[in-house]
Amino acid sequence: MIITKKKDPNNILETVKKYDKFFLIGCSECASLCGTGNEEALQEMTDFLESNGKKVTGQLVPKTGCQTLGTKIELKKDKEACADADAVIVMSCGAGTQSATEIFKDKPVYPSNDSLFLGNMTRFQMFDERCSLCGECVIGKTAGICPLTNCPKGLLVGPCGGMSDGKCEVSPDVPCAWVRIYERQKSLDNLDEMKEVLEPKDWSAGQKPGNLSTRSEKKEEKK
Amino acid sequence: MNFKEALESGKFTVTAEVGPPKGTDITEMLHHIDLLKGKIDAANVTDNQSAVMRINSLSVCKIAMDKGLEPILQMTCRDRNRIGLQSDLLGASILGVHNVLCMTGDHTSAGDHKEAKTVYDIESVQLLNVVNNLNSGKDMMGNELKGPTSFYQGAVVTPEANPVEPQLMKFEKKVNAGANFFQTQAIYDIDKFKGFMDFARKFDVKVLAGFVVLKSAGMANFLNKFVPGITVPQELIDELKEAGKEKALDAGMNICARQIKQLKDEKICDGVHIMAIGMEDKVPEIMERAGLL
Ligand code: SF4
Ligand code: SF4
Repeated sequence: MIITKKKDPNNILETVKKYDKFFLIGCSECASLCGTGNEEALQEMTDFLESNGKKVTGQLVPKTGCQTLGTKIELKKDKEACADADAVIVMSCGAGTQSATEIFKDKPVYPSNDSLFLGNMTRFQMFDERCSLCGECVIGKTAGICPLTNCPKGLLVGPCGGMSDGKCEVSPDVPCAWVRIYERQKSLDNLDEMKEVLEPKDWSAGQKPGNLSTRSEKKEEKK
Repeated sequence: MNFKEALESGKFTVTAEVGPPKGTDITEMLHHIDLLKGKIDAANVTDNQSAVMRINSLSVCKIAMDKGLEPILQMTCRDRNRIGLQSDLLGASILGVHNVLCMTGDHTSAGDHKEAKTVYDIESVQLLNVVNNLNSGKDMMGNELKGPTSFYQGAVVTPEANPVEPQLMKFEKKVNAGANFFQTQAIYDIDKFKGFMDFARKFDVKVLAGFVVLKSAGMANFLNKFVPGITVPQELIDELKEAGKEKALDAGMNICARQIKQLKDEKICDGVHIMAIGMEDKVPEIMERAGLL
């Protein structure tokens, strides 16, 4: 899921100072699990804005904020509240915010969160980054552990000289990704896989902005 | 005899470091170059060491060469992508810089521009492969070069890494990727180092043992605590303590000279790499005490 963190509300206030009336949009998926876009977070934002002399005209926690069409349909019932607002504050991730940018052609849209990473929830409201969506997955060759993400240098060919007692040069509390890979390959009796030198990464596979359509194939199938 | 010829001939070879300064006043650095030339076989010119922004390695390599000190161009993968690295390698080649040390490079979080975007488009083993390609007249995409390079390429290894196995596997990858010589992280325990050399001797590569001169017991404790892959044995720390504050540096230089002499006399490795870190002026004296001058 996409991990988000609340911005400092005073910074948000500064950014939106020109406006008085806001419509708030959260998200029932990732941002709810992160506690940044659920009903509670929206209420907190409403209270904060109102205590600073602003007005909240309405709010919605759509099912999936980054599902542009679905969110647009859900917003229909809030047509008046939306029309009444000077600006929209989106309390999900950068993707959800840009769905709103697309939906609200004539209103400014502001994010209330910082989007951090694609994360695994390890325990309730504790998140770790394991994959950075590189476009061409290599972990079939690295013991199912992503060196591009778990190693701060993203090294593809073994540990750097900074590894110390199994820990990472960059964060001494975190195990070196390559020591983890080594240990797992060893326990799986797969060390021969670690002998291979992976080719330099083809970064063009993850060129921005990514886009993908699986539509035409499905249409073909139906025919 | 140049650095490559020295190493390949079996001469006990000595390298040290020249650290480019931060800023355009290079008086002190020029003085260090003068001190080292004619004494050591070649000097590594560091590449924004510890991720602290300074003069680039290549410019200083050229200056050292013009002054008669053979340079080894340190190249890290932290700041340049594959286009930048190859382009700088071609540039080094036309300037006559032919020794290159391929490294991954310290992370930006260690340096003075912590907010910088790290690159690491490729890493040390892949960079060695790139140098091989350039030497054979091709860039890393297989495009033909108008004139090949002729680099003598080396790499680094940490013999006392813990756990050491993944480090040794990487060493082997570097050998297979064409590394001709290795400079090691600082070592202080010759018996342990002999164990590493038993492994390294299986391969047709030259090894220069790394030395960082101990200035005090405090420094030794600091290295043990904070620098990855360095272990200073207690008996050396005691030796520094016994020498007292005034004489600690002298004792550190003695330790260094004694160990270098042992490596040479017992033919344990092919040479040494002395990282003086601000004490370049002491390098000739250490060499003298080790019987190398
Ligand atoms: S290799 Fe790429 S796709 Fe696979 S886990 Fe790592 S970042 Fe994600
Ligand atoms: S210590 Fe390991 S995880 Fe950390 S940067 Fe080096 S190789 Fe990567």
